[in-house]
Amino acid sequence: MVERNSTALVEMVDIHKYFGSVQALRGVDFHVEAGEIVGLLGDNGAGKSTLIKVLTGYHIPTKGQIYFEGNAVEINSPHNARELGIETVYQDLALVPLMSIARNFWLGQEPTYNIGPFKLLDKKRMAETTLSALRDVGIHIRDAEEEVGTMSGGERQSIAIGRAVYFGKKLLILDEPTSALSVGETQKVLDYTHAAKDKGMGVIFITHNISQVHEVADRFTVIQRGRKLGDFRKEDVSEVEVARMITAGEVPERLRLFDPEAEGAD
Amino acid sequence: MQATIDKRENIDVNPLVTYLTLGLGILAFAVAALILLGWLPLGERVDILRSNKNWIEYAVIILSLIYGIAALRTFSGLSQREKAGLAWARWLTFITIFIGLALILSVIIPTYIKLLSIPAPSEGVNITELRVADSGLLLMFIASIGIVYQLSMNADLLRFVGKLPAIRIRYSLILFLLGFLIATPAGLLWVSQFPNATSNIRTPEAIRLLPGLLLFVLPLFAYLSVRHGEEESDHLRRAISLPPHKFLQTQLATSPSAGALIGFLAIFMAFTMATDLFLRPTSIASILTNVSSKGVIAIGVTILMISGEFDLSVGSILGVVAMTFMAAMTVGDPIFGLIMSPLPAAFYAIFIGALLGFFNGFILVTTRIPSFIVTLGTMLLFRSFVLVGIAGGRILRYSDHHDALPITVLSQWFFVVLALIGLAILAYTAYRVLPTLWQRVIHNWSVRADNGDFGTASTLVSGVIAVSVSVILALAGLWLVSITLFHMGGETIQVGFFDIVNGRWDGSMLLGGEGFSFEVPRDANFRMAIVWWFILVLFFHVILTSTSYGNSVFAVGGNEGAARAQGINVNFVKVFNFVLVATLTGIAAIYETTRNPGVDPLKGDGWELQVIAMTVIGGALLSGGYGSIIGSLLGALIVGMVQTGLVLSGAPSRAFAGVVGAIIIIAVILNTAVRGRQGN
Repeated sequence: MVERNSTALVEMVDIHKYFGSVQALRGVDFHVEAGEIVGLLGDNGAGKSTLIKVLTGYHIPTKGQIYFEGNAVEINSPHNARELGIETVYQDLALVPLMSIARNFWLGQEPTYNIGPFKLLDKKRMAETTLSALRDVGIHIRDAEEEVGTMSGGERQSIAIGRAVYFGKKLLILDEPTSALSVGETQKVLDYTHAAKDKGMGVIFITHNISQVHEVADRFTVIQRGRKLGDFRKEDVSEVEVARMITAGEVPERLRLFDPEAEGAD
Repeated sequence: MQATIDKRENIDVNPLVTYLTLGLGILAFAVAALILLGWLPLGERVDILRSNKNWIEYAVIILSLIYGIAALRTFSGLSQREKAGLAWARWLTFITIFIGLALILSVIIPTYIKLLSIPAPSEGVNITELRVADSGLLLMFIASIGIVYQLSMNADLLRFVGKLPAIRIRYSLILFLLGFLIATPAGLLWVSQFPNATSNIRTPEAIRLLPGLLLFVLPLFAYLSVRHGEEESDHLRRAISLPPHKFLQTQLATSPSAGALIGFLAIFMAFTMATDLFLRPTSIASILTNVSSKGVIAIGVTILMISGEFDLSVGSILGVVAMTFMAAMTVGDPIFGLIMSPLPAAFYAIFIGALLGFFNGFILVTTRIPSFIVTLGTMLLFRSFVLVGIAGGRILRYSDHHDALPITVLSQWFFVVLALIGLAILAYTAYRVLPTLWQRVIHNWSVRADNGDFGTASTLVSGVIAVSVSVILALAGLWLVSITLFHMGGETIQVGFFDIVNGRWDGSMLLGGEGFSFEVPRDANFRMAIVWWFILVLFFHVILTSTSYGNSVFAVGGNEGAARAQGINVNFVKVFNFVLVATLTGIAAIYETTRNPGVDPLKGDGWELQVIAMTVIGGALLSGGYGSIIGSLLGALIVGMVQTGLVLSGAPSRAFAGVVGAIIIIAVILNTAVRGRQGN
């Protein structure tokens, strides 16, 4: 079993989630540390989205406890999660296509200046900060007033990541970010993910395809049928082995020792 | 911005084109001179004195002088093989094509309106010849549209110069020439069928067709024979080096109301050309008065539509508010039976309206039923309130219960405070706007030498803009100061309450001092509601484009999930917008009731679709996330112009709904084409 650090950024302990008689999660432990990229892997329906929805406040767990920066927290709503500094980048829910980059970047927390009782948007600052903040993570755009709809999927993901980094979020959750992207764009998104990690953020990278995340992740957590198969450091497993775990649910013999469930079964 | 243009770079120019520009320049000066000397009368002449000019002639003189200067500048640029000459040539040809098209349309549009207005040909008309003429004109019209469409869509056309032009343009040209060959005799034939059919319609001047066609076709070939190199995308370079259609497209695509603006200008010009009764204070006043109430509702509906919902119940809410307002002043309000004076009654009625809007929004966010269904239901429900409230098909009239209309006494300080607030807003606008404008002038002046004559021209243009904005602001300031001084020493003023809200605007309603009042023609029905409408448009335009609330409205409509993920309270935005629509509808209801103090049970019936039409013409997407308040203003004006213009030009007014329907479809197609990307 991978050594667990008590100063983990997020620690989810023994999470259960039942929808009526459907047991979506059956006692999953999961943790992410600051400055770490965790690949959360599992086939469709394995429960990885449910786990993330518990973390981001869309679902309330039936049983279990979440610790954020060492403190026990109750995440009852997406708003709660945001307050804690958890940012989720969904593939199609990241940005508003018909709005400009600057407006998307500042959405929900626009800088304003006051004229008497009225608060007006500080458009100049919005545009300038957007350009410089994105430049900091290595994203170069020409014009912050350009509509997001004119940009490619990879560029949109990148901007969403850049936004999370700029606003000092602590945990970044990427939900299948690269599954619809070209090879070149995927590489870029992975680079920005690295930039986020270098700024000290914890990153959860959700996917069902190991090849998309093998390059950047430090650790993999594999989920199958609502249970965790195990945590594996990248240096301990090969890509093929992880792929087999996702599809067949088989943990290689030499790694079984590290699997808590296997231990319990013995 | 350190852009410089290498003026001496050699370019490839067909000498024919160079001399063509010279010819166009001389022609423009000749036209200006002819009009100035009175040899070329334009528009409707009041008298035959050549020294008297009407505004059309003045406008044409100024425009042709500007055009002539530009053409000569192009000529010098091309003859010296300057690279900047290319930019000039590109713009000049584009503008020339546009003028040519305008001339063609100025013949075709009145002709077709005539066709509409005289369904049964008068005696002595050969039906067969008429139909032949009709189809010829139609063919030419389609061909012109085809060419303009190609111009805007086909970038290659403008890039291949001297080489093979893009193939598609050839089809358009062939089509166009065919249409031209058929249309010229057909048009003449057509004109001969109607020597003097109706008094207020101008005889189509077939003579305008020929220069129009020349101006349209020649520059097309000129375009094809000028080669242009690669430019970098610096701002200034972009401004002069982008092909015009690209430049216009990028400019247009950034503004939701662009399509509406084009439509507004086109329809305005069409009716101005079609009948002399159109461009008169009386008609303008009647257009503005007719649509101001609907325009106010359209503001709210636009905001609601941008946030992804819409409201069918506005017509019924209008009925409820109008009934409550009138009942509260006469027989007692429908709920408590209270009788109030006009001002509290108005606020009370608007509050009731806002409650109904809240009801709409509340049902929507709690049940998640689509807003179409929710408001369809409440439309019927709210209408029944009015039908029951004003039982028996009666009309609730103010004059049945009171002898005289209500009078309000206004303190002179009211006006002083109002004017001072106006001054403060003005001063702030000046503080925000003027420095930028003047800085731009200074900047353009400082890089003028690097950019040759183009630099000088842009300095001049920005200078003219800066000066005129400064002068306008200064004049407005003076006017407000004069109001302040005038009322400081004045007395209390008695005005009719209904007059403040929606009174007719004669000279006495102008609140300025002696020097600033001007005559309003007696038969022109300008009303106060027009002023309130424009103020509301400005206010909500600022709200929508420059506040965080406006930003969240766009986000909620554009991608609800993303808005929610960024912590925006989506339900609040939606409910608030429903309340906003209902409140604005309430304000419109007060206008309508004060304009004609009587309420019948069907007041506002059918308005909801007209208002949605205005909003859609104004460029808002039904699917949400896109639109503008200025667009809704233009949409309302377009509907108003069509309504009044059809009557004035003698077309059957029953065609109104059909024409509006056609405009809606064209508007949506135009908006999608201009934006040319994500329709979702």
